Amino acid sequence: MSMWKKPFFSFLFVLVLVLAGCAGESPDGDGASEDGTTISFIHWRGEDKAVFDDLIAQFEDEFPEINVEMNIYPSEQYQATGQRMLTDGSTGDVFTSFPGAQFEAIAGAGFFEDLTGEEFVSNFDEGLISVGEKDGKQLALPYQLVFNMPVYNKGMFDELGLEVPKSWTEFQEMGDTLLENGITPIAFPGADIGPNQFMNSMMMNNAPDEDVFVKLQSGEESLTNEWWVKTLEDFQLLEEKGYIQPDSLGTSQDSAMAMVANEEAAMLATGSYHMASLLDLNPDLQLDLLAPITVEESEAQYEGINTATFMLAINSNSEKKEQAKEFVAFLSRPEVASQYANETGQHLTVNGVEYESDVLQNTAYWIDERTTRFQPRFLITNAQIEAAVLSSIENVLGGGDPMEAAEEAQQLVEENRK
Amino acid sequence: MKASKSLLLFFIPGLALYAVFFLYPTISAIFYSFTDWDGLSEAFQFVGTSNYERAFTGDTVFRKTIGNNLKFMLAVVVFQTVIALAFALILVKNTKTTVFLRALYFFPTILSSVSVAFIWSFIYDPSLGILNQLLGLAGLDFLQQNWLGNANIAIFSLAATQVWFHAGQMLIIFVAGLQAIPKELYEVAEIEGASKWQTFRKVTWPLLAPSATIVIAYTTIQSFKAFDLVFAMTGGGPNRSTEIIATYIFDVAFSNYQFGYASAISVIFMALIALITFIQFKALRSDRISY
Repeated sequence: MSMWKKPFFSFLFVLVLVLAGCAGESPDGDGASEDGTTISFIHWRGEDKAVFDDLIAQFEDEFPEINVEMNIYPSEQYQATGQRMLTDGSTGDVFTSFPGAQFEAIAGAGFFEDLTGEEFVSNFDEGLISVGEKDGKQLALPYQLVFNMPVYNKGMFDELGLEVPKSWTEFQEMGDTLLENGITPIAFPGADIGPNQFMNSMMMNNAPDEDVFVKLQSGEESLTNEWWVKTLEDFQLLEEKGYIQPDSLGTSQDSAMAMVANEEAAMLATGSYHMASLLDLNPDLQLDLLAPITVEESEAQYEGINTATFMLAINSNSEKKEQAKEFVAFLSRPEVASQYANETGQHLTVNGVEYESDVLQNTAYWIDERTTRFQPRFLITNAQIEAAVLSSIENVLGGGDPMEAAEEAQQLVEENRK
Repeated sequence: MKASKSLLLFFIPGLALYAVFFLYPTISAIFYSFTDWDGLSEAFQFVGTSNYERAFTGDTVFRKTIGNNLKFMLAVVVFQTVIALAFALILVKNTKTTVFLRALYFFPTILSSVSVAFIWSFIYDPSLGILNQLLGLAGLDFLQQNWLGNANIAIFSLAATQVWFHAGQMLIIFVAGLQAIPKELYEVAEIEGASKWQTFRKVTWPLLAPSATIVIAYTTIQSFKAFDLVFAMTGGGPNRSTEIIATYIFDVAFSNYQFGYASAISVIFMALIALITFIQFKALRSDRISY
């Protein structure tokens, strides 16, 4: 062996080691395992892993030729990487999307398979899945139905003889009564999800036009108009009168939940998705939903907020669309959806779901009997405009003047409007 | 000669890794900064320098993030350096106690940033948090704050967490630097009747300059590039008071799907870090003395 060859083969050996080290398990080229075809299902709900594991096992028993590989990402990471994985079609044969900005971006990139006309679409409540439509096509199917409005301690209200307020005046009277009894009316998790959840019910009757944020983005509306300035003034009133706890902008959702679970506060300004967790913390609580009506009773058009979310979709780049559709069809069966609903404590958009738990049964009337509107925040499709809107609430809760906060936010809207 | 030439082949794996993980992303970022790419679509258009124009003239939030970054960086660089140096001076001798204490102070560095964020979010909680409760127990109620919820102080609360997180790491660098200073110089200073301050000023500090350069430069870059703690603890709020360039880039790219614009901000960010580091190196090199 020549002098030249020795180092060359040494180098080759090192290179092979490096490449071997870099190489991971290569996926099957055609996605087929020994037992059949493997489809990828990606989503962000780690809390649903157990029930999905069970449902996937049932699905694989019924369809032995299809395996489902589920990958769960934290929601922020899902936003950052989940969608990138859709590009080549090898991951996320079945995936989920948030409504709003994420839905619009994925639709714009053409990653949604058109599900219009698929038989399983009729398993869903037609009135609740329109958020997954675009240009007349059913691109995604919202699975969960949540009510993004305060959860309240019904038992406490009964003890104090309080009625659910039907106007802004009554709401303030209710707040005063709770304060007189040493109870904080609203636990507001301002450090995380509070502003983006509570803004919806706070503005729903101040701006009954459901297109108000569409118009804001097109320049036809302004945050300095009465509907938003009044909303900010209403937030200011809640803060100044002590209806929300002091230092609310530093309060996390866990702390706010603890306040309600310990009955230090009467309402949690988040949504129905926290009811099961509250009951875990304090099983004696009797809970229901209550949105602030910020106008007089005669002017109120909406009683609450709904969001059809966790939108199931099929990757248009997938080579296993038919198998993916089988899985979505399976999830949309009423008996399967019922298991998912009851084990996760969520209302669903699927027809014929039977809710077993008290809290789901007791609040199911909000689906059919109450006038709720789709979460306005999700109609802001530009995330920077959404951030400007939310910042104005934080500005006011931090002591800022409502009009000045609205003007600052409007400037950011102007900068970010496409 | 041939053998030595062929040995150059050993550079290839390293160069390949450098090219794939640094050069390619950097060139890509510069390339996409001149486009309107949304990060998902295959199609995009060249938009010239409009992304840069937007950053410098039409984006109030970006300008705010630069200010927040500077506040955060200054607070971290000053306090982290001073605290690390002070502790290094106290713990420079190798005894069982000092070795244990150095390890103890280094411990936060090995924690994951998400864990640190979680712990400190709890510490800072205005009602349940340990910090306000301890202040209350000590009769210092007037110092109780809404640490992360007050837009005026939230960035400094985050800076304090960053200092706690990384000061131990800098302490070790300072200890290594201090232990490398010849003892004879201290003996001479003592014989000459130098005070402790004079000894520090004329012996310790000049000979510690290389370590200080590393600490300050590293802390500057580290604090300027901070992301995980801020993202996990405040998400940039309240009212964008803790939004820094890195979190804003993430927001623009992954929430607003404006990869082209996010790339332009990244390029500006990279240039800013390079400029600050260059100025620092120039300034600190002029302080170096050797005996």
